[in-house]
Amino acid sequence: MVSKESCRNEIRAAIRQLSDRCLYSAAKWAGEQLVGIEQDSSNFTPSNTRFQRGSSSIRRRFSTNESISTPQPSVGFSQPPATPLPQEDEVIDGDLYLLAKSYFDCREYRRASHVLRDQMSKKSVFLRCYALYLVLCTIQYFAGEKRKEEEMVELEGPLGKSDAINRELVSLERELSALKRTGAIDSFGLYLYGVVLKEKGNASLARASLVESVNSYPWNWSAWSELQSLCTSIEILNSLNLNNHWMKEFFLGSAYQELRMHSESLAKYEYLQDIFSFSNYIQAQTAKAQYSLREFDQVEIMFEDLLRNDPYRVEDMDLYSNVLYAKEACAALSYLAHKVFLTDKYRPESCCIVGNYYSLKGQHEKAVMYFRRALKLNKKYLSAWTLMGHEYVEMKNTSAAIDAYRRAVDVNPCDYRAWYGLGQAYEMMGMPFYALHYFRKSIFFLPNDSRLWIAMAKCYQSEQLHMLEEAIKCYKRAVNCGDTEGIALNQLAKLHQKLGRNEEAAFYFEKDLERMDAEGLEGPNMFEALVFLATHLKTNKKFDEAEVYCTRLLDYSGPEKEKAKSLLRGIRMAQTGFPSMDMEHFPL
Amino acid sequence: MAGLTRTAGAFAVTPHKISVCILLQLYAPSAQMSLPFPFSSISQHNRLGLYLLSLTKSCDDIFEPKLENLINQLREVGEDMDAWLTDHLTNRFSSLTSPDDLLNFFNDMRGILGSLDSVAAQDDQIILDPNSNLGMFVRRCILAFNLLSFEGVCHLFTSIEVYCREAHSSSAQYDASNDNLGSLIQHDQMDMEKYIMDKATEEIELQKNASGRVPFHLHTPEALFKVTEEQMKHACLLVTRKEKSSTNTKKAEATQLACASSSTVNDTLVDESLFLRTNYQIQGFLMEQADAIETHGSSLSSSSIESFLQKLQNLAPELHRVHFLRYLNKLHSDDYFAALENLLRYFDYSAGTEGFDLVLPSTGCSMYGRYEIALLCLGMMHFRFGHPNLALEVLTEAVRVSQQHSNDTCLAYTLAAMSNLLSEMGIASTTSVLGSSYSPVTSTASLLSVQQRVYILLKESLRRADTLKLRRLVASNHLAMAKFELMHVQRPLLSFGPKASVRHKTCPVSVCKEIRLGAHLLSDFSAESSTMTIDGSLSSVWLKDLQKPWGQPVFSQESGSRKSSTFFQFCDHLVSIPGSVSQIIGASYLLRATSWELYGSAPMARMNTLVYATLFGDSSSSSDAELAYLKLIQHLALYKGYKDAFAALKIAEEKFLTVSKSKILLLKLQLLHEHALHRGNLKLAQRMCNELGGLASTTMGVDMELKVEASLREARTLLAAKQYSQAANVAHSLFCTCHKFNLQIEKASVLLLLAEIHKKSGNAVLGLPYALASISFCQSFNLDLLKASATLTLAELWLGLGSNHAKRALDLLHGAFPMILGHGGLELRARAYIFEANCYLSDPSFSVSTDSDTVLDSLRQASDELQALEYHELAAEAFYLMAMVYDKLGRLEEREEAATLFKKHITALENPQDEEPNMA
Repeated sequence: MVSKESCRNEIRAAIRQLSDRCLYSAAKWAGEQLVGIEQDSSNFTPSNTRFQRGSSSIRRRFSTNESISTPQPSVGFSQPPATPLPQEDEVIDGDLYLLAKSYFDCREYRRASHVLRDQMSKKSVFLRCYALYLVLCTIQYFAGEKRKEEEMVELEGPLGKSDAINRELVSLERELSALKRTGAIDSFGLYLYGVVLKEKGNASLARASLVESVNSYPWNWSAWSELQSLCTSIEILNSLNLNNHWMKEFFLGSAYQELRMHSESLAKYEYLQDIFSFSNYIQAQTAKAQYSLREFDQVEIMFEDLLRNDPYRVEDMDLYSNVLYAKEACAALSYLAHKVFLTDKYRPESCCIVGNYYSLKGQHEKAVMYFRRALKLNKKYLSAWTLMGHEYVEMKNTSAAIDAYRRAVDVNPCDYRAWYGLGQAYEMMGMPFYALHYFRKSIFFLPNDSRLWIAMAKCYQSEQLHMLEEAIKCYKRAVNCGDTEGIALNQLAKLHQKLGRNEEAAFYFEKDLERMDAEGLEGPNMFEALVFLATHLKTNKKFDEAEVYCTRLLDYSGPEKEKAKSLLRGIRMAQTGFPSMDMEHFPL
Repeated sequence: MAGLTRTAGAFAVTPHKISVCILLQLYAPSAQMSLPFPFSSISQHNRLGLYLLSLTKSCDDIFEPKLENLINQLREVGEDMDAWLTDHLTNRFSSLTSPDDLLNFFNDMRGILGSLDSVAAQDDQIILDPNSNLGMFVRRCILAFNLLSFEGVCHLFTSIEVYCREAHSSSAQYDASNDNLGSLIQHDQMDMEKYIMDKATEEIELQKNASGRVPFHLHTPEALFKVTEEQMKHACLLVTRKEKSSTNTKKAEATQLACASSSTVNDTLVDESLFLRTNYQIQGFLMEQADAIETHGSSLSSSSIESFLQKLQNLAPELHRVHFLRYLNKLHSDDYFAALENLLRYFDYSAGTEGFDLVLPSTGCSMYGRYEIALLCLGMMHFRFGHPNLALEVLTEAVRVSQQHSNDTCLAYTLAAMSNLLSEMGIASTTSVLGSSYSPVTSTASLLSVQQRVYILLKESLRRADTLKLRRLVASNHLAMAKFELMHVQRPLLSFGPKASVRHKTCPVSVCKEIRLGAHLLSDFSAESSTMTIDGSLSSVWLKDLQKPWGQPVFSQESGSRKSSTFFQFCDHLVSIPGSVSQIIGASYLLRATSWELYGSAPMARMNTLVYATLFGDSSSSSDAELAYLKLIQHLALYKGYKDAFAALKIAEEKFLTVSKSKILLLKLQLLHEHALHRGNLKLAQRMCNELGGLASTTMGVDMELKVEASLREARTLLAAKQYSQAANVAHSLFCTCHKFNLQIEKASVLLLLAEIHKKSGNAVLGLPYALASISFCQSFNLDLLKASATLTLAELWLGLGSNHAKRALDLLHGAFPMILGHGGLELRARAYIFEANCYLSDPSFSVSTDSDTVLDSLRQASDELQALEYHELAAEAFYLMAMVYDKLGRLEEREEAATLFKKHITALENPQDEEPNMA
């Protein structure tokens, strides 16, 4: 583990370099991590206490804005940093660079790249290419640099990306690859090259370039996240040849999360929290992982906490809204929606939150409208596609739902929700066999979710297919995955009953009964289980046990009670056997 | 859903539309004179009017022409005042120096519209009626302009600048080329313009009944295949409007007009950039590609198609048919997962309507989509990849869903597919396949045998297809029926048993009837082509998956029609027969050939195959063509010897890629086996036999034909190796299998083989019943050639009982002789000849010295044929007999000659070398 102080120094230098190159979102990220590092108590000064967080009672944190001048030899330099501190290649920026940078800051990208047209230093070349790329790039959210909607319309035209832009992108790529060949490129240039290659669809080359970039300059989070988006399987991830650096841990954390290895990811974040104990980023990521593990209550607390510390945060808030949706917390959701809308209503996340709110309110048309808006802002916004699919399903517009889900799946083929949605939609249309394929797909990506197994089982169970054996197998899997809704056990019992396997049926009814007892539930399922068990045990001549179930039934009113009474009578008769009957027969 | 991207289809002001507006201003200036200034005559004025009408009509859908093209067209319209017109146009454009000018321009435009209550107008006044086509156009332009935001206006302004600049830069060019090409072009363009005019006037009348067929104009599809970015951009533009255009046939016609005009301009000016691609064109082009994939099968490089599709998809992300093409491509390159993935994606996106919606507006637009088609396709995909159980489940679901959505067309196709599936796989299917059958059709018939189910399904499908007038389906159903009748004995299958065996019959007459009914399609089609559009509702490139070994395609295909007409234009006797129709008819010829093969007429079989290969070879699918080649090569091997056959095989192998289980590979193995057997190379024969068996799937009941073939050959190999009891064992178990799976026709040949085995083992008495049984089977199934061959065996058996039966044997043989000599292959004929000689020689009443020629003639004939066949064993026998006869006659020299030949064959038989012509 590297020391906190060395981390801090690295990040500080990195922020300067990143913002010098106008990689603002990476700089922003680094900044967040910088203040996320827990302050050493030795560095404590009372003046810093005003930065202390009020929210969480455990948390205390100190600003670090004046510690550059006071190095801590005992901590900071006791061990050499894993990677040499980032070095500036040009100490003094050229005048033209300064001008270009200010143009860039004013979002005058063309102008910025024009100013730097003849500059040969690596830094200038990077900024020129980067500015050019930003002009060309039609993705709205590139490296977090938001582009205005009008600009999009101007650029896009009816054909999407216009030809001219494509051509310029090709020439940009050519220039970068030439630079790379001659070695006249720094790690930032490599990063940009990787991004351009990714845009062109050349994933493996892009990966190679990005790996080279992060190995030589690990503090550029944008490069890491681009790399992460290119790691679509664990094999690819493992095949990457990455130098050890604490930034790699961040990368692995988010990569694991994307690959649905949530516990691994959580472990990474826990490890990182030793240093970056106050990082909002880590907290949000942990919340995400917990969300995937369906720990909604915990996630809600974490997000509340997060919002208290960082009230104008919009990132990841769509996830929070999902949690609130799942918990059906209408008021909280509307509060959140209002808040993010005030912060920035032209973010896809904001629109998505509002969509969720309307969906919870049952106003599906409006929800669709907001999801659409989110998608207009970011066409690759996965969860909006999926959520829109859900809305269409609610509106019984299956073909639109299918279309939306399919788009989600094409954006990210690992999205099990969308696969599940597709299956559901086809099942709704009475095509259970066709739907099975989709359910299978979704289960492939999330094999430990009982809901998916139950959905598949229902498909098999449908009257059209009537493949009960397969259904039983699915329900068994669901039970093994810890079926929370308790459907699987009941269904298993019923199916076995239907197939005439009374022993198995009794076994599952018993299990189901145990579950209901443990959860303190009652209902028709319980009556059913009790009646079956009682009858079954009675026919098997286990009268004592049968009596237990019967007496339990007697506690309830309704036809079951009568049934229990008659059963009991039968048991008595059978138990006392014929003698008693004889007694009746022969009056004294 | 596609509404997300529909914005592109809205009416937007473009520089071209402004040009039209400027011209309209000229046409109907607000200062109302009877004839505006530049026009010298009313006809001239009208001419411009019609031209403008055609322009406004095409404004919705075309990729807009550049200014220079517009000017070129104006030159033709304007006649003597063209210079004035173009000058005015360019001047007007150059006077637009700021966005504000645009605003003023559109304000002026408002002036040329007459007021709505312009009843009071004088007669000779020129007023643009706001409700006329032109008036509507102007109003739409004004409205669209007013809706523009300021950025939009600026955008328009810059694009006008570009528009004008392009024209300037190329106008010089034009002048040069104009001078060079001279009056020829002028003339052409005049014609073209006239055409446009005529078209435009016709158009007005046509509008009322505008629901006719969708025209396809495919210019140089080859060029498109190379996909220059430029071209595809147009395609893309048009594609993005597809939702709109598909609902509006009127627009489609306008497009057609525009296409005609622009393409002629292009042809003369060689201006690539103006190629237009409507959605229909792209769809048609894709259909053509689909056809190409299907026709060339796996020989077409799948990666080249893939890259082309990738490009197309990048440019037109909303064109979902690309996914379908990709599916087809993957299907033919045997990539199961990719094929499945793309099929599902296609239907998820298009809901089964894109590509199918062109022709069936009435039943379309159901909000449920047409997912039953997805099921049908999926079922056929599973079928092709050899998952009959899955296929059956999916098709069952397809039946259910199409009933639910009352899509009778799909139902008919599904039933046809199902019957096809059952007849292919179902012969094999014991309860495992059909055990859990929920189909409403099959469940009622759960007690029936598979064959009966096939029959019922076919009948049902035929009935539906007939009522729905799906002619192609009717035809292919007839063919399927013919095939069924050909292969399966008549109905009373349930009462199979020794007593009922008399009633087992095939009925050649009904086969013939069905084939003819199938071929009626041709006359039907030429009689009424309009109904074909209904057929097209299931465009059904996908139905092509149906063709399997028997090469019996169920096609219906609306698109094929348009494009393959290019081929047929060259053979004028078949003009306007769509590819799919010719494919079905071709298939009927193949089926005829097959039936003649079975019934035992070699010449007829050969003739039909040749007819197919010459007439339908170009339009056929690869599997059909493969089948035809196979038949011809088989014929060669049987009647001309192996040398020719192998030479032909080589050609065929070059033409068709030999992938696993391809027919050509099978044929090769068969030929090699046959050849090795004849040459006495038993090891090789055994190896070939094993390889053949290895091709079959291990699943019980699948690939039965192949399995039967393999074990039949195995028994023959064992027989040749003189391992009689083993051979008999194999044959016995084979017979049991055939009986179990109801393979009646194969039974006959197995029985014959058993008789043969007993004959060879010298146990003639045991062989007799088998031979007789085989003959009776052949009789009831009308297998004449097989019967002749069985009769020969029977005669041989009789002779084997002793020479006192020679007379009877000879009589039998003579009875079969016409059939054997007329239709039999080399081997059979030689055998008959030798046997005849044998009979004579063993007949005590026959004297060699007096009647030597009868014997010698036959023997000579036999030896010639056997040498061609390289059948050493029989050849040796023939020469031996010949030498004996010569010896008896005392012709020593000839005797020696025969003896050396005998020796040669014997040594060749004893030392079989691997001097295979490196075919193995």
